[in-house]
Amino acid sequence: MASSLPAFVARRRPDWTALEALLTRQRAGTLHLEELRTLDVLYRRAAADLAHAQTFHPGTDVHRFLNQLCARAYAAIYQPPRERWAALLAFFRQDFPRTLRAHGAFVAASAGLFVLGILLGAVVVLLEPRGAELLVPENLRDYISRKQLWTDGLLSVSPPGAVASGIATNNLTVTIATFASGLLLGLGTVFMLLNNGVHLGSVAALCVHEGLGAKLFDFIAAHGPVELSIIVIAGGAGLRVGQTLIAPGELPRGQALVLHGRESVKLVLGCAPFLALIAVVEGFISPGDFFPGWVKASLGLALGALFWGYLLRAGNAGPRAGVAAG
Amino acid sequence: MSSPASPSLDVATPERVSLSLPVAGIGYRCLAYLVDLALLFSFWVLAYFVFTLLVSDVVGFFQGLSGLVRTLMVVGVFATQWVYWTLCEVLMGGQTPGKRLVGIRVVRVDGSPVGVLESAVRNLLRVVDSFPLIYAVGCLSILLTRQHRRLGDLLAGTLLVREERIDLDKYTAAAAPSVVLPPAGVTARLASGDVELILSFLARAPWLEPAARTRLGARLVERYGGLDAQQRATLLAAPGGVESFLRARVQAER
Repeated sequence: MASSLPAFVARRRPDWTALEALLTRQRAGTLHLEELRTLDVLYRRAAADLAHAQTFHPGTDVHRFLNQLCARAYAAIYQPPRERWAALLAFFRQDFPRTLRAHGAFVAASAGLFVLGILLGAVVVLLEPRGAELLVPENLRDYISRKQLWTDGLLSVSPPGAVASGIATNNLTVTIATFASGLLLGLGTVFMLLNNGVHLGSVAALCVHEGLGAKLFDFIAAHGPVELSIIVIAGGAGLRVGQTLIAPGELPRGQALVLHGRESVKLVLGCAPFLALIAVVEGFISPGDFFPGWVKASLGLALGALFWGYLLRAGNAGPRAGVAAG
Repeated sequence: MSSPASPSLDVATPERVSLSLPVAGIGYRCLAYLVDLALLFSFWVLAYFVFTLLVSDVVGFFQGLSGLVRTLMVVGVFATQWVYWTLCEVLMGGQTPGKRLVGIRVVRVDGSPVGVLESAVRNLLRVVDSFPLIYAVGCLSILLTRQHRRLGDLLAGTLLVREERIDLDKYTAAAAPSVVLPPAGVTARLASGDVELILSFLARAPWLEPAARTRLGARLVERYGGLDAQQRATLLAAPGGVESFLRARVQAER
């Protein structure tokens, strides 16, 4: 028999108050083992009370209150495991390179789109130099027509540190935007990749046309391989998200998105430290004539080879990794 | 009662009870965002003034810094824009200061607290949600999805639930000492919905217009009092009699 609402509240309220107090202290992290047991017992009782309220007093404030209380206790008891430094280490040792290899096709497609953009931009400008007026921003054209690289100007005005930090934030923005716009059915990522490719290709072609090709190569050589790789990887992650939205497979679209979205984000987050590293190279080593061209080129090649060597090899060496994966 | 139920997050717990939590709509979310924005803004203003107090020549100070320190500083400034959200959500149990003030919380779709990865995802995607300006894409997505989730929430598998402050005291508040007429034993028992109705009237009575207060009180007495006409007339005549009668009526339900 259902007891009346005020009687129910009066009888059960002390337990609820106790549970609330325990939950507040649980968040602060100051509970003994004994109190944790009490918490568990009180949670079960509150769940039973919630069931009672659902049946006999639906839609009342007591029902809402118990819903909320049980949700708090549920969240406290069924907590996900804490992520710690070991997990972070394992992420870079195994998880990140493995995820990348698993999504190799998407990264390749992204690289294809990027190269396509570069070729398009370069071909347009080389065949019809006036096309540069359309594709290359005006301030860059000004520099190039004065037979200067814009990077020279940057360095003479501001010290290399400022250049590096400006570049770091700019690259971060481009990378995040390239990935995140994949949520627009992948079209955003396709646009970002093509657009950046066309931009790069047309600027490079204009430089070559004006006889600045060697200088541009000198600037790009040290950081280009890794930086462009990171944008391509972010593009691959974005394409993966877009593909999930268009063809979710057997799961409902929402669930597929959550499942594959998590994988894609791993790709982007894994790139973050490398992005920071390469920004330092781009700010300190690439501009100016402090380092001779061959040093920059070989550094760029070495960094690129190291980066891709890590991505393609890490996480599958040794029998332990094989056991963990299998 | 005929309006569609507000969206809720339904969770089936291992204890075989289903929780249902109210989902926070666009109003709550905007409010929380504005609070956070104001907080970040005032932090930067404060930092700027403190900085100018300590170092008079700001531009000169920055030029004096070495390249590496300056790089780290600018990257750090950029990070605070983005890391603020994730750090707060992870450390404060799914809330930022703004969300805590408004009383909303980020949870996973199964009701458990957010982890680092989910929080990072939903905050990375702020870029898309804020596209092209003032969070247009995010707002559209919130308005169109059933559980009011923006694109970042969809990808991370999270949503925002509302926390209400519910006062249980109204059920157990002591009856006023001057009970005019204890209800006769013949009255029917009240359903929980009726108890709720009377209690919400009692809770709001002090703020009602006097005329509305007496009119509503009289109708409730008429409906749930179980009194004859003469008793009712004496009760209505007594000042404050209606409310103490109703309170006693609810208390008698124990």
